[in-house]
Amino acid sequence: MTTEHQANRGIVKHSERHEGPQKHIIVFIFSIILTAIAFAAVMAGGVNAAFTVLLLLVMAILQVLVQMGYWMHLKDRGHLIPIIFMIGGFFVAGTAIVTALYWVWW
Amino acid sequence: MSATHTEGALPHEPEKATLEGRNKVLGFWLFLGGEAVLFGTLFATFLALRNQTNEGPTASELFQLPMTAITTLILLVSSLTSVFAVQAMHRHKVGALRGWLAITVLLGLAFLCLEIYEFAEYVHAEKFGMTTSAFSSAFYTLVGFHGAHVAFGVVWISILIGQLFKKGLTVVTAPKIYVSAIYWHFIDVVWVFIFTVVYLLGKVG
Repeated sequence: MTTEHQANRGIVKHSERHEGPQKHIIVFIFSIILTAIAFAAVMAGGVNAAFTVLLLLVMAILQVLVQMGYWMHLKDRGHLIPIIFMIGGFFVAGTAIVTALYWVWW
Repeated sequence: MSATHTEGALPHEPEKATLEGRNKVLGFWLFLGGEAVLFGTLFATFLALRNQTNEGPTASELFQLPMTAITTLILLVSSLTSVFAVQAMHRHKVGALRGWLAITVLLGLAFLCLEIYEFAEYVHAEKFGMTTSAFSSAFYTLVGFHGAHVAFGVVWISILIGQLFKKGLTVVTAPKIYVSAIYWHFIDVVWVFIFTVVYLLGKVG
């Protein structure tokens, strides 16, 4: 049973290596939907501005996370160091934005 | 059929076959971390200055969302075609790989044309030049830097298509293609933040 199970896992891994386009098309459609929600929220107008801003930021961050995970392969094995590089980069970028907005300007 | 590869045949993921190739990819990620910092500082400048219009046009007067939606769609599709290029590379289909890269380049060029048209419209019709206001300087610097990255990517990927014709798909050319695909996705990721923070937030006010 155990060896059979392991053998099955081996087969699954092998088929994963020649992955089809389905996964990436799903990411593409997901990105389109998130983008459409963001544009629709702004074009419709009339909604609470603070809520719209929050919605826009959530849509953008979700889309970026999915694209970086699947299209840039960050969710695949062996990507710990690239993830650390990107978190470091985004941390400094975020610090620059927060600093410019709350400490320097006001 | 990676288990049955014969001696000298190209492995399934040729970009990871050599230490040099793996180091190239790793080093490129360090560069992208630095790029994130670069764009972060430009976003910080833009966010701090976006309401300083100096009696020039404001963001909500200027931006046309249908235009932004079209450029967004073009860049998103080009990111998908770049994924397909890497998948074709993993299947060792060099013709399909070149085709997907060529489509990616063409979409990048279409994006650039629309952006140049947009900027020209702002400068001539709206009197919104680089020195009009702090908002205009921050806008052109941030969006222009992104456009310059697209232009660089278009040239880079075009050269890689040429190399594929000359040298074919090898463990030397494969990491270059993989890295250029990562770069192209990163440009798309930056654009997600630009259409959100610059265009959509500009319309919200």
